[in-house]
Amino acid sequence: MSTHEVFTDRLQAGVLLLPTMVVSLLFLYYPTVRAIGLSFYQASLARGDVFVGLENYRRLAGSTEYLRSVLLSVLFATCVVVGVMAVALCVSFLIHEIEVGKGLYLVAVIWPYALPPAVAGLVFLFIAHPNIGIFTSYIEALGIDVNWFSNGPQAFVVVLVAAVWKQIGYNVIFMTAALGNVPESLTETAELDGVSRTQRLLRVYVPIISPTLVFLVIMNTIYGFFGTFAMVDLMTKGGPAGATNILIYDLYRTAFQFYEFGFASAKSVVLFVAVGLLMYGQFRLSDRYAYYGG
Amino acid sequence: MLGSLLTALTAAAERSRAAGRTTSDRIRRFETEQLTLHVLTATVVFLIVLPVLIAALVSTKRAGIVTSIADLAPGGHALSNYRRALIGLEFWRYMLNSFVMSVAVVVGKLIVSLLAALVIVYYRFPYKNAVFLFILFTLLLPVPVRFVPLYRLTTELGMGNTIFAITVPYLASATTVFILRQHFLSIPASLVETAKVDGVGPLRFLWSVLVPMSRAVLVGVSVIMFVYTWNQYLWPLVIINAESLQVAQVGLSLLRGQASTGEVAWSMVMTGSILTLLPPLALLVLFRRQLLETFTIQQK
Repeated sequence: MSTHEVFTDRLQAGVLLLPTMVVSLLFLYYPTVRAIGLSFYQASLARGDVFVGLENYRRLAGSTEYLRSVLLSVLFATCVVVGVMAVALCVSFLIHEIEVGKGLYLVAVIWPYALPPAVAGLVFLFIAHPNIGIFTSYIEALGIDVNWFSNGPQAFVVVLVAAVWKQIGYNVIFMTAALGNVPESLTETAELDGVSRTQRLLRVYVPIISPTLVFLVIMNTIYGFFGTFAMVDLMTKGGPAGATNILIYDLYRTAFQFYEFGFASAKSVVLFVAVGLLMYGQFRLSDRYAYYGG
Repeated sequence: MLGSLLTALTAAAERSRAAGRTTSDRIRRFETEQLTLHVLTATVVFLIVLPVLIAALVSTKRAGIVTSIADLAPGGHALSNYRRALIGLEFWRYMLNSFVMSVAVVVGKLIVSLLAALVIVYYRFPYKNAVFLFILFTLLLPVPVRFVPLYRLTTELGMGNTIFAITVPYLASATTVFILRQHFLSIPASLVETAKVDGVGPLRFLWSVLVPMSRAVLVGVSVIMFVYTWNQYLWPLVIINAESLQVAQVGLSLLRGQASTGEVAWSMVMTGSILTLLPPLALLVLFRRQLLETFTIQQK
């Protein structure tokens, strides 16, 4: 028992905790439980709720369109995690290795953390626009026909680049902090031995900062699944032909374009379970491989 | 593993020192390396900043159509563009709504989380761990997973289309409670004992001891919460129907719709984008030190 615990009035404790508990129950737990409940109903604005049992889940299991959206989301989130972390690690390492003027680079590079996803979406829509994009004519001069308004894979790549770009700053904040905590003596020893820079990064730093990397893999996965909604909505609306229709966008459309609340709830339950499992899996794996101090 | 690595590295270092590498050699090598590093880093940083630089440049031009790098020279219409976006297209309204929402969420979350963290660190009561887990578990319930029933609930409570709809559901924060708890635990326990002996109640203790001692963390947490709230898009999009109540993030797409009829469309949209980016960016630059400190706690 901690020596901090000097107050014992239970009533007081209850009153002080009340706001957190009420908001958590009402706006976090209750809607989640209700989503599970609603997923067994055919619920829409017009007809009211009709109990249909597992019908919504049966529909999901039989929908190739939905399966495609699942695979697409997993691919998208994986690419986001790998892309963001690879770029951010390189950038953080570069900044870490610099002796003078570190702070300036750091400020310049972490600001995308403050960048709203909606702004990221619009800016990329503009600079990569098939007709008026700034680099479009240059890329087309290379023999590539830029038209991601109709070309699915191209649209996927453009949204992906926007998503990765927006998340770099957040990762750099954590990585530079972690690199800054690596014992100086270790760096010096490696340097004296003439261990090359890349070797030092991969063999010495990465294992030591692996707890931070694990944390970032989890945060980036959540971001890949949920945080990119605004970009998809503003850039592609899930298209063309479903090429960027990731789960969260599909869920939004089911609920607020087709008003199928029951079916949408079934989809959010699946999403909830999937993300939960994914995070659990990452925790288990990382526990085995990550290096936690000492 | 680390131990053996260290030994190996030390041994190798001894060997290379014995081989006799002169100091001036090393310094010269060091300098060219640093120069290369600067060039490399500056290039990468420039590439990362470039998209928003382009947006900022376009927001100063009259026509927003920019098809080649040569078109990127800054225009002289910055003032008129920003005035037109803010006043003519009423973007100030969206900015104000976003601002009210974010400030309300930050203040509300701070109060609610400070009270919860106070109880979790300084009170002894049964099922304490269960309560803490109950709060932490909400991390697994992000808005996107529950927004369909949340929409129904908010509408049923008569909060749809109000400022309450975009503030109250955000008030409980597992992250904030957790960060504050970690920080409180690092404050010497003797302080609270002295306070208790002096007859200082928990709320007085919170206000006159904990809050002043947590200034940096509170600022850092506030910046994180502000940026998070300011950047919300999905929930306001769903729950707010009245255009006059909409927030800047969603207002951007409205701006795009309104402006697309005129020839200045893209410069207006980029003007709106820069306006929307400014508040969180200003906070990040102003409070970067506190922010980094808070992030370090969050990782632990």
